Amino acid sequence: MTRQIVIQPVTRIEGHAKVTIDLDEQGEVQDARMNTVELRGFEKFCVGRPAEELPRIVTSICGVCPWSHHLASSKTCDALFDAAPPPAGVKLRQLANAIAFTEEHILHFYFLAGADFVMGPDADYTMRNVIGIAKALPDVARRVVRCRALGARMLEVLSGKSIHPVASVPGGFSKPLTPAERDDLLKMGEEVLELAKFTIAYAKSDIFAKYLDVVKTLGVVKTGFLGTVTEDGTLDLYDGHLRMMQPDGSCEDFPYERYTDYIEEHIEPWTYMKFPYMKKAGRLSMDLDNPVGVYRTNTLARMNVCERIRTPLAQAEFEEFRRTFGRPVQLTLAYHWARLIELLYNAEYAMQLLSDPEITSKETRVACRPRAARAVGCVEAPRGTLIHEYETDQDGIVTYANLIVGTTHNNAAINMSVKRAALDNIHAGQHDPALLNMVEMAIRAYDPCLSCATHELDGRIPVEITIRAPGGETLAVVR
Amino acid sequence: MDGLARDLPAHCLAETLVLGCGNDLLGDDGFGPALVDRLLQEGLPGGVLALDTGMGVTRLLFDVALSPRRPRRLIVADAVRLGRTPGTVSLLPLDAIAEREVRAISAHQEPTSCLLKELGAVGGIEVWLLAVEPERMPEEVSPGLSPAVQAALPVAGAALRRLLAEEAAGAGSGRGMQAEGG
Repeated sequence: MTRQIVIQPVTRIEGHAKVTIDLDEQGEVQDARMNTVELRGFEKFCVGRPAEELPRIVTSICGVCPWSHHLASSKTCDALFDAAPPPAGVKLRQLANAIAFTEEHILHFYFLAGADFVMGPDADYTMRNVIGIAKALPDVARRVVRCRALGARMLEVLSGKSIHPVASVPGGFSKPLTPAERDDLLKMGEEVLELAKFTIAYAKSDIFAKYLDVVKTLGVVKTGFLGTVTEDGTLDLYDGHLRMMQPDGSCEDFPYERYTDYIEEHIEPWTYMKFPYMKKAGRLSMDLDNPVGVYRTNTLARMNVCERIRTPLAQAEFEEFRRTFGRPVQLTLAYHWARLIELLYNAEYAMQLLSDPEITSKETRVACRPRAARAVGCVEAPRGTLIHEYETDQDGIVTYANLIVGTTHNNAAINMSVKRAALDNIHAGQHDPALLNMVEMAIRAYDPCLSCATHELDGRIPVEITIRAPGGETLAVVR
Repeated sequence: MDGLARDLPAHCLAETLVLGCGNDLLGDDGFGPALVDRLLQEGLPGGVLALDTGMGVTRLLFDVALSPRRPRRLIVADAVRLGRTPGTVSLLPLDAIAEREVRAISAHQEPTSCLLKELGAVGGIEVWLLAVEPERMPEEVSPGLSPAVQAALPVAGAALRRLLAEEAAGAGSGRGMQAEGG
């Protein structure tokens, strides 16, 4: 190896990451990988605490998807205490989940990934950001800010708090929804649904069509997929079976409780983040030509594993997506398209739930009694399948906890996409900010949330590329 | 209430926005949220909004960046290693802080530090950093402020109130300050 390119931190993802690209003597890419720092010790911190505290505590893991942790933990506690929430309790949780998804997906499209497409992937960095979006699309920007505020307000009405939620409890939901609150939420939800419809129409006409070549080539890798579906294969983000799809499209369903029979974790010496892989493959290989055991989660995975979507507009979009790309879709940038289908689905589903008379039932929770048990709870978080597993003693005190977060499932695939994008875009040692942004775009497609995994920043500019000689001597620094 | 005020969230409409950043699971990184909690208990002048953003500060800043109306002044409260005695409180305008130190702000959300600069330079917002020098930033989950940072909370609160009072009195406030905690 003669030279090394380091991109640190990758910009406009949640959290931060460092990308290292090793070049050979000819300046061709020899290897590329993404490093992250993981928040350690959370599972240990849970041990010794009453299990019913965990749904509140886990929201501090991450300011990015607190609702997903809150709900996964609540579901785990339901199972620990053998408590079945009443239908209204389940529906209120599903409603909160749907609203939180719309907020997240709007954020990603307009704030994190949109600048690459609205301004163009090779636009100057100083304009390729959220302030550039505000200037390029001022009316849309105003609508986006309003709808994000509406989403936050909806979650506050529903649960009292939107950032550190506490409303979901073991056995159900602590706060019934009044008819007056339901009526308010319907008005707000209608507006969010209109933005969702606009967004996917705008993206299809102005972005995906224009950048189809990039979508079809950037960071493409061949993997399996994991997601949650109901008994009949309908997409479900709150409950169901896990479905593991092989790269050839064949599928196997299994209950959450058996996740350790299907998922194994691999460790690499250069990163704290683990690499989950398909256990039945026997090993993990991130070789681009012959990958073994790699699977992906998050929006594209969910579109691949499901058979249908339960809301009409999203179902129509899903059918068009499948007609366009087939099944399974391996194009990494198709994550964006899939994300907007999910945005539409969640906006529609929130309205469906709000229109259900049962949503205002006062029976929203059941009493729980601690016991010794092991339980697994799972939801689909915006960034992938989120698994919580706890064990308790007879007093309901946690004796073991394990969490697999959405982004971690995608760790191997993200690393492969980084390498693919680097191999395709960097030749003879030639690189510039636009080419390096292509590598970052491959990462951003996965919407990785590393903020529950990051702790300390060592203070570098948003994108810094260091080229080093074999002895460590710095040949060039590109900013 | 005008049309914009109906459309926009409170954090875009406040005259002065105080954001307490950090993770209260990680020792002194919980300074920002603890300070906001204290400020809210004591009460704040009109036009000032203080929010415990935890680790979700970036999304609020994105809203502010996209919004057609923005706060005139943004104060970010965070535990930042500036090489001073633990517990030292610094209240500084962002443009007075060295590049290296700006980048140390809001360790949990990397896009935040460059976004703060953009909000100042392009967004026309007066951005201030209300920083405490941490003593204990654990590698693993371990909640609770160190005694030095705990003692710095009233110092930081007083510094913030002085800045707000100077503004209300029409005095210039570009100097910044530094004070030992406790």
